[in-house]
Amino acid sequence: MRRAGLTSLIAFVGITVALLVGVLAAGWAPLLGLDLQGGISVVLKPAPGTDPEGLDARLDQAMGIIRNRVDAIGVAEPDITRQGQTIVVQLPGVKDQERALELVGTTAELRFRPVLAAVPAASLETTTTVAGDGTATTVAGESTATTAVGDTTTAPSTTPATTAPSTTAPSTTAPSTTEAGMDSVGGPLAPGEYAGGASESAQAATTTAAPTTTAADGATVTTAATTDTTAPVDPTAITARADDQADKEVVLPSFETVDGKRTETFRYLLGPTLVSGNALSDASAQLTQNGQWLVAITFKDGDENIGAWRSAASACVAKTTTCPTGQLAVALDGEVLSAPTVQSDFAGVNSATITGTFTEREAKDLATALQYGSLPIELERQQSQEVSATVGNDALRAGVIAGIIGLVIVALYLLLYYKILGAVAIAALVMSFGLLWAVISWLGETQGLALTLAGVVGIIVSIGVSVDSNVVYFENIKDDMRSGRTLRSSAERSFRTSLSTILKADSVSLIGAGLLYWLTVGPVRGFAFYLGLSTLLDLVATWFFMRPAVRFLAQTNLASSRPDLFGIPRHDHEPPGGAQPPTPSSSTAVPV
Amino acid sequence: MGTLRRLFRNETNYNFIRAWRWGAVISLVAVAISLLSFGFRGLERGIDFVGGTAWEVPTSQLTVSETRDVLRPLGLEEAKIQTVGGDLVRVQGPNQTPEEVATIRTALADAAGISADTVAVTQVGPSWGSEISSKAIRALIFFFIAIAIYITWALRDWRMAVGALVAVVHDIIISIGVYSVFRIEVTPATLIAFLTILGFSLYDTVVVFDKLRENAARTALSGTMTYTELASLSMNQVLMRSLNTSITAILPVLSILVVGSVILGATTLEEFGIALLVGLIVGAYSSIFVATPLVAWLKEREPKYREVRKRLGRSKGEVIMTSPAEAADAREVEAHRLPTTTRPGAVPRPPKPGAAAPTVIPPRPRKQRRR
Repeated sequence: MRRAGLTSLIAFVGITVALLVGVLAAGWAPLLGLDLQGGISVVLKPAPGTDPEGLDARLDQAMGIIRNRVDAIGVAEPDITRQGQTIVVQLPGVKDQERALELVGTTAELRFRPVLAAVPAASLETTTTVAGDGTATTVAGESTATTAVGDTTTAPSTTPATTAPSTTAPSTTAPSTTEAGMDSVGGPLAPGEYAGGASESAQAATTTAAPTTTAADGATVTTAATTDTTAPVDPTAITARADDQADKEVVLPSFETVDGKRTETFRYLLGPTLVSGNALSDASAQLTQNGQWLVAITFKDGDENIGAWRSAASACVAKTTTCPTGQLAVALDGEVLSAPTVQSDFAGVNSATITGTFTEREAKDLATALQYGSLPIELERQQSQEVSATVGNDALRAGVIAGIIGLVIVALYLLLYYKILGAVAIAALVMSFGLLWAVISWLGETQGLALTLAGVVGIIVSIGVSVDSNVVYFENIKDDMRSGRTLRSSAERSFRTSLSTILKADSVSLIGAGLLYWLTVGPVRGFAFYLGLSTLLDLVATWFFMRPAVRFLAQTNLASSRPDLFGIPRHDHEPPGGAQPPTPSSSTAVPV
Repeated sequence: MGTLRRLFRNETNYNFIRAWRWGAVISLVAVAISLLSFGFRGLERGIDFVGGTAWEVPTSQLTVSETRDVLRPLGLEEAKIQTVGGDLVRVQGPNQTPEEVATIRTALADAAGISADTVAVTQVGPSWGSEISSKAIRALIFFFIAIAIYITWALRDWRMAVGALVAVVHDIIISIGVYSVFRIEVTPATLIAFLTILGFSLYDTVVVFDKLRENAARTALSGTMTYTELASLSMNQVLMRSLNTSITAILPVLSILVVGSVILGATTLEEFGIALLVGLIVGAYSSIFVATPLVAWLKEREPKYREVRKRLGRSKGEVIMTSPAEAADAREVEAHRLPTTTRPGAVPRPPKPGAAAPTVIPPRPRKQRRR
């Protein structure tokens, strides 16, 4: 019995110390929440009146888009979570609030844009370029592929879009932007190189090349007139988000993910939007009979939907100035998802298929993106909070200092009142705190779960709960000893009674913490989590530390010779003869 | 023997029955004041609940009137300006466009002579507050239901669930009342703190009830005292524990309040601290003065205890307390009666003669070891 208790005690202390040392050795520390290290948090919700159809999937998609955007600006530990229909974005360490709000707040639109030129990302360093879509995706089946890429590229410098009926005012200004764009290459890159590169690429892709050079030359001539009115487009510099507008020419990258690593594959110079994502009514990934994945899309009726698509398609098939390469890119949120070559003018058909060398995953991702594009979610800002790093650090410092002082006072009180038992209680507190530190560090490191100020308060409050368990136990021991038992015999007996009380009371805390966690959002959740966690650890410490420790101490000689050192009134267990009867207290008792 | 010493030895013998009457009066008055104040004055709700924009400028250079001068040309005359802890100025105003927010931010930073980066801005949409409040209220309702079921199950008595819940509702009403009467701003931190208090108050109540149940099972069946007397007695027994736990819970909270907010000036900690302190005090009070007497009152209506009361020939609510001398007599009597305890396998253990026994409760019978 004695040995078993001691083993459990030593094992518990050993495991706690080992965990703590392990965590410290691994260099893990609790991940600090936004309110403790500074940063920005934004809470978003779908705007009222959002179509509830497939909302879950669309919210997930929106979250994915936000995550991509945040990753792109390199935030260290972004925390983007969904709680019901609410999206909570936390960006620790980010200072520029306007930028962050713009990042997460703007609605992503799916757009079909014509490809004006393409450069493989890998070649950007050396500026040797190859045009064309390496992924060889093609749109629709029947008509055979017409490959020539470069043959109409001379057009942009001269003829403003005339062929595509759907393109309205914006698209007519576009070609001139191209010129300006070509010109701006003259700045950072030296004028000839891009042109040269472009012509090379045209050759590589098969046919006649020269025109592009002319385009560049033409551009140099005409710039003076145009630069003032239109923003120059540098085909090698990705367009900033703010400038990524439907009616402008843009440069957007495409990515591929291999083994979880995202690498840029191509950089596209894209014309103004020809068809918007709203034109889509449905998109799905399908498996063909010969085992290939394709994405089938259907358009809504109406001039601005299927009508726009048909005119865009015929422009691409004819390779007019609006769609010189014959490729129509699918762009979502600053990224080209796919740039298939159009092979039909879709006269009389409402649907299209996108084929290529898709994996199942790629096909499904594309289909999801297209579906989202048909009904983008407009997110409304519920709350945005910025905590400056200094305020956060101050709060943390204040919380830690307050916690330590609170602990010291409680420790002194326990020592004064319960003496040796008080020391055991303090040791139990230290143990459960050690465990808590290890668990919080582990959660922060592996699960990205941050410790917030609310969490710190939860933990400080749980000091009270832990001490309560000890007090319940000690008072029970005192009770028992008053009725004549020795410390040795009451230690175990009282533990059983106390444990039942502690379990009941802790259950109430756990039920509360659990419900709060499930049913609330934001800071309340963090608080509930840490309150629940520390309550659980309190139970662990009570069972594995408190019980064997008190039992062990109760068996020492000290326990029988100096019970006062255990905070137990002296006379209570002295042999009956020596006991003084208690002085009758007339002040408070009312005799019958 | 001084009061403290008696407390230390768990040998108090306070007449809680009388105190409970006062408690009932005090609680009723406090609840009435709280409800009236809430009804007429409402609560001072922070921007998290009403929507708006807040700027926090970490500076000791600006006074409230200087800040107002800075804001006046920007159309924010009505803004609420506070200095917090001596080195933070907080401005709260209605919702603004991002450009306006940025302009005000820069203006404040310039006036304080600091960089605009260090001015923290919080913006809250108008529906966010109602969203968190409605979520919290929903959580609260589920919490009450779950706790009622749990206590009924764990303590095997629905009356105790009623007592505990009434005590908690009492705590909520009075805490709201304190916030309403003293015009303390309600923030999400306040909400969290209140929820903590609920758990804490319930924890305390459950410990008291567990003792009550234990004593009732052992003694009351022998018919030597009414349930109310029993409750008062149990209260005396757990008084030290209640005091100790309340003290050990209040000490860290006081530390949060004093160190965190007064000395180091952390606003959120102050919000937590005030709410926790109010709640802890009300919670400790309600376990003793609301939950327990209510259970006693309900229990007295049970036929079993009505019988006891009749047999002991006591009128309803008569104040009965035993003096230690009487307690000794009662103990003698009980030593003979104990075998009638319902607990199967319980072996009565007569107390050692002469041992100090301030209460009439005999020692706990040895429990059979659970297998």
